[in-house]
Amino acid sequence: MELTADQRWELIEKISEKTVKFGAYRHTLKDAIGDLTVRPSTGIPVAIAVLYGFWSIFGSFAGTLFTDGFMCKIFDEHWLPWMQSVFPGGLGNWFYAIMVDAGHIQNGMLTASDNSFESFGVLTSGLFVPFGVVLPAIFIFYLMLAFLEDVGYMPRLAVLIDTLLHKIGLHGYAIVPTILGLGCNVPAVASTRILETRKQRFIMMALVATFIPCGAQIGIMQDVIPESIGFVMLYLFIGYFVMGYILNKVIPGRAPEILMDVPPYQKPMLKNIKRKVWMRTSGFLKVAVPFVLLGCLIVNILYLAGTIDWLGNVFAPVFEGWFGVPKETAGPLVAAFLRKDLAVAQLSAIHMTKYQMITSVVLVSIYFPCVATFAMILKESWKALLGSLVVLLIAAFGWGGLLHLIWKLMGVA
Amino acid sequence: MNERIEKLYVVYFLVLGLVTLGFGMADFIVTASGSEYTSAALIIPNDGFRGGWGGLVMIFAGIFYLSGLKNAREIHQLGKIVMGSMLIWIMAGTDIFGMIAGSIPGGEEGWFNTAKGFLGTYAPPYAPAILLLPFSLVVIFYVHRHYRESKTLKKA
Repeated sequence: MELTADQRWELIEKISEKTVKFGAYRHTLKDAIGDLTVRPSTGIPVAIAVLYGFWSIFGSFAGTLFTDGFMCKIFDEHWLPWMQSVFPGGLGNWFYAIMVDAGHIQNGMLTASDNSFESFGVLTSGLFVPFGVVLPAIFIFYLMLAFLEDVGYMPRLAVLIDTLLHKIGLHGYAIVPTILGLGCNVPAVASTRILETRKQRFIMMALVATFIPCGAQIGIMQDVIPESIGFVMLYLFIGYFVMGYILNKVIPGRAPEILMDVPPYQKPMLKNIKRKVWMRTSGFLKVAVPFVLLGCLIVNILYLAGTIDWLGNVFAPVFEGWFGVPKETAGPLVAAFLRKDLAVAQLSAIHMTKYQMITSVVLVSIYFPCVATFAMILKESWKALLGSLVVLLIAAFGWGGLLHLIWKLMGVA
Repeated sequence: MNERIEKLYVVYFLVLGLVTLGFGMADFIVTASGSEYTSAALIIPNDGFRGGWGGLVMIFAGIFYLSGLKNAREIHQLGKIVMGSMLIWIMAGTDIFGMIAGSIPGGEEGWFNTAKGFLGTYAPPYAPAILLLPFSLVVIFYVHRHYRESKTLKKA
């Protein structure tokens, strides 16, 4: 049976009379708070408070409670001494150095390490970094992110930051790869697919690989340079926008506007949160643990073969002259290609000033993506990878050199 | 009667807003001075994160309270007062979580803290947001009252 247009409208009217409630809609408190968190004048203060809460809980849980409270004790006081006592070979043996502890020179003598950060063995640092430092950091990071997503806050943050991100050729949804990148750069690169144009995806990939330190790295920074982490993050954050602005001007292509659907606030569902946290944390561990172990192995072999010292000598004029850091940072920078978190841990063992340490940590963040991110960008597009490498090179020299200049002007370099 | 209670609430949130704003500014001043402020009940940290960033959040909380006072019965204005309290809850919640995280590990003495050490972590002095926490909870009664009145008006 076919209906005429009038009959169809009549049918629609009858259905809507039975199913739709008509009347004036009164705003509830939930609606009002929803509006307030989207409007810039009130939403930005709320975003500042939410991010404060986010990082405060991150630091207390991952740093104070787990890593400093228990993991350092387990690894430094029990695991490392046990490995040092039972592993065959002993200090000075090449296999022992790779697997347990390379030791360090103190008063002209090769001395055993007393913590898992400095021992740098596959079975000591290689296990301490992913399980003792990174796992608590990544777990709490993804737990809070899942909570904010489930409550409905993330779309509001995207709307809030939309205007600002348009200045660098992106839009509000770019907050997703940015925040994911603070957990792990690999899913962040994958999530750049939510951006519409090739130009936007390239800008986002380059910025994630360059200026967004991953959760593992932040976790280590929290332990190694707790008093300077705020400055490092701020410097990278400014670099993110400066480089984004330049890339937006230089790279041809479109940066279209988008329409965003902002859902109402809702009670978070435990099942959703559990599933998201499990999926992301287990995915991260599957990627991270093999790379950390492999990273320790390769870096130790390079050290033993003298390659790192050779690289340090070759690049000494650049490290000491341009960046103002000791040439020994060459080793951590090579290690950073394998795991950036390990590289920051390695930096802690090098004798340098607070300002040199900040510069070194910034360099580790921006000079090159870790190999997992590198592979992920390559999977997306080799052109994007080449372009990102050019951006990285410029950023590392420009932003790293600028930091050295700032220290010089302050009279501390 | 209702008008009088409403006025009392407005005066209450005015005072709370001013105190919160004052604490936020104090956070900034203490952070800038570089030395922590400690008294019997109050501790104002001097680190850039808690004092600087946290101080900024406290200032915003105070401003939320104060900007919501005019025509506080209107739902968006009420929302601002609630947001003021929520910002204090975020600050106090993270401070309390920090205390809990610090109270469990035993440090040099063992795996877990002693009962004395555990309880000692929760003794005063407290950060400004923790001191303001009980006062900020009054907003729950205010919201409850608002909804009760709205229902009564609807029925009438």
